[in-house]
Amino acid sequence: MAEKKEARIGVFVCHCGTNIAGSIDVEAVKEYAKTLPNVVHADDYQYVCSTPGQTMIADAIKEHNLTGTVVAACSPRLHEPTFRMATKVGGLNPFRFEMANIREQNSWVHMHDREGATEKAKDSVRIAVAKASLLEDLIPKSVPVEKAAMVVGAGVAGMQAALDLANAGIKTYLIERSPTIGGRMSQLDKTFPTLDCSQCILTPKMVDVGRNTNIELMTYTEVEEVEGYIGNFEITLRKKARGVLSPDEAEAKGIVGGGCNGCGDCVDVCPVIKGNEFEFEMAPRKAVYIYHPQVVPNLYTVDFNTCIKCGLCVEACGDKKAIDLEMVDEFVKVKVGTAILATGYDLFPIENKTEWGYKKYENVITGLEFERLICASGPTGGHLIRPSDGETPKKVAFVLCAGSRDNTGVGKPYCSRFCCMYSLKHAHQIIEKIPGAQPYILYMDIRSFGKMYEEFYYRIQDEGAKFIRGRVANILEDATTKNLHVFAEDTLLQRPIDLEVDLVVLASAVQPTAGADTVRKLFGVSCSQDGWMLEAHPKLNPCGTTTAGVFLAGVCQGPKDIPDTVAQAEGAASAASIPIHRGEVELEPYFAQCVEEKCAGCGMCVNLCPYSALALVEKEGRQVMQVTEAKCKGCGTCGGFCPGGAIRMQHFTTPQIVAQIDAFLLGGEQ
Amino acid sequence: MAREKNYGNPSLEGKLKDRYYYSDDTNRDFTQEVEKIGRTIAHMCYQCGTCTGSCPSAPRSSYRIRLFMRRAVLGLEEEALTDPDLWLCTTCYSCTDRCPRDIAPTDVIMAMRNLAARRDIVPRNFLKTVQAIYKTGHGVPNNDVNRAARVKLGMDAEPPTTCGFPEYIEGIKAIIDHYGLKDRADRILSEGE
Repeated sequence: MAEKKEARIGVFVCHCGTNIAGSIDVEAVKEYAKTLPNVVHADDYQYVCSTPGQTMIADAIKEHNLTGTVVAACSPRLHEPTFRMATKVGGLNPFRFEMANIREQNSWVHMHDREGATEKAKDSVRIAVAKASLLEDLIPKSVPVEKAAMVVGAGVAGMQAALDLANAGIKTYLIERSPTIGGRMSQLDKTFPTLDCSQCILTPKMVDVGRNTNIELMTYTEVEEVEGYIGNFEITLRKKARGVLSPDEAEAKGIVGGGCNGCGDCVDVCPVIKGNEFEFEMAPRKAVYIYHPQVVPNLYTVDFNTCIKCGLCVEACGDKKAIDLEMVDEFVKVKVGTAILATGYDLFPIENKTEWGYKKYENVITGLEFERLICASGPTGGHLIRPSDGETPKKVAFVLCAGSRDNTGVGKPYCSRFCCMYSLKHAHQIIEKIPGAQPYILYMDIRSFGKMYEEFYYRIQDEGAKFIRGRVANILEDATTKNLHVFAEDTLLQRPIDLEVDLVVLASAVQPTAGADTVRKLFGVSCSQDGWMLEAHPKLNPCGTTTAGVFLAGVCQGPKDIPDTVAQAEGAASAASIPIHRGEVELEPYFAQCVEEKCAGCGMCVNLCPYSALALVEKEGRQVMQVTEAKCKGCGTCGGFCPGGAIRMQHFTTPQIVAQIDAFLLGGEQ
Repeated sequence: MAREKNYGNPSLEGKLKDRYYYSDDTNRDFTQEVEKIGRTIAHMCYQCGTCTGSCPSAPRSSYRIRLFMRRAVLGLEEEALTDPDLWLCTTCYSCTDRCPRDIAPTDVIMAMRNLAARRDIVPRNFLKTVQAIYKTGHGVPNNDVNRAARVKLGMDAEPPTTCGFPEYIEGIKAIIDHYGLKDRADRILSEGE
């Protein structure tokens, strides 16, 4: 700390083209700055963030022997790092820089009040100068980064992210809540617009994940607790009781050559029958089950909620001794440097929109149910049927924006983004599989925005799908035939329509998965108002979050189709690997500091700290508080509370804040 | 949802008929017939409205070509063929020039007129035009105003068509007779009287 050297501050006012200069008198602000105490230099420039602008700061520091700099420009979220660097180039500690936001918080909101905006800018500059006069040198702290990563959720996003990380040489824990990896994509029959078989392109990736030695796959496992910070997350995982031992687990227990080999002998004897969640309960499963034949890992799972513990499966399993009906949840702790959340989506409960009759009329199904019914490995072997009578439907209505673009509070206000395209694909599939079938697509807009998507739309229209522009008002069932009457307006014909169809497919809106909110909060990630996880910046940092070291991939961040999901997963994997490859991360030096001579050792701050960064230690025969700097986020909770004023918040010290308040209230008079 | 109201009174049944479009209103053969005659992919229309926006008739009449395209897509034969607006197209082909899906809406209209004519649905002025062509070789025969203007511009009073060469009218008559167009026009006009 430079002791009591007189403060010499330089002020730089940015025009930002006309963003600032258009509604603020920059010249007046500059002239005003020159009159402020401690200001020895003031200047203005078109774009201070440009290379000449930065040079201007560095040169002024040398020329005027400055001790601190103030830039009045945009939000520190944008250019604080730029100007800190310029300050450093000029020979000062980078933390001797203070920013006055006269754009986002001023010129943009007071566009029509030039005089008022200029006065406000003067206030902002005065306050920043007051703080800059008291700034101190701070040294950022580096912490080592654990050379491991975690990916939460093993759908196509999580799998891709884990594969990328693992192939970059990073040990990766891939955590999946359900018994198998694969996610939503493994439930799909075909993918648009190429009509690739979804399973065929996904299973090679699933096998890669299972085989990759850098990936530690943990299925039927949930995140229980997250501690730590970037580089050093300590994560507690709950391995849910699966009731079945893998070959490795069996060997660890001394059962040589045992463990589950996926033979399925247990299934034949199990007396409990339940709906298979993977097939949306359109097919049965036993209490001991796998979702489908291609599961990874190829391990059975006992559903302890329905298992009656009759023990028949244990007998059937025999010498392999793979089944343990007394198994309980286990907790495992792992340490990772970074984490990627890829928790995916669920369908919105479309029965809440009662006018479309889902769960009331048998022949109204969702898009995902359609996928299972048209899929060769699904419950009907790929023969699309009407649930009411097993007949093949000829006329099928596809209801788009079912629950999306809905501001009633029942549905979702956003566009779910992939329903248009999968409904086009569904229309294609019934034309292809059912001779004489007539698909009707009831839409508001067709959003076929991706590569080759518009061409796909053209193709489906050419194949004979009828497009009716109008949102479906309601659906009624003919009680005898179980046919459905779809009511809407053909807005192009300007006529109400009454379509009698055999089957209705609702392209239901999507929403975050049930557990996503819990996971999000454990990792300290925010959500946007629509409930999806919040990215650090919607355009320039779509994979990052506001929690350093935590990244997002796939639909958990917002609805997106498979190509976008995979692209984001690869982006997230790349971003998550950077701190690991660098080996250390620099933390902002905004730590709390204990002034030991003032500390009474009451320990009240220890319990208040949301990051468990504080502890009481014995020093010179008495208790004093000690800060683990790497854990401290500089939130100020302890500093604000400490009854003895013994906690000093670096970069936000009491004298600095008081000086800012004084500068504002006293209007520059000392 | 019952479409027959069973009032037991045909006029009441017609009067109280609802305006719903039902799925079986669609006549797929009509769409195919229009495409065959018009030699254009009418079913690919995505209803952008470029045709109506380009149409010189639209701002001066109730004619909306997009609506006829929609009827072609859905196979709404009755609605298309009985709408008098079908005959308001000037066949300028602006819509065909601009259609982003490379459909020829003008040819869809022509096909529909063709189909309408098979059912004797043709406005009287069109039929009288047939008679005029049969008689003079022109839909709009030459007249004195025209002749004066032509002379003033240094041209012959009669253009080098059937006006100047009336001996060719016989040939035109032969063509029209081949298709029975004149007899048809005469018959419809006389029936209407």
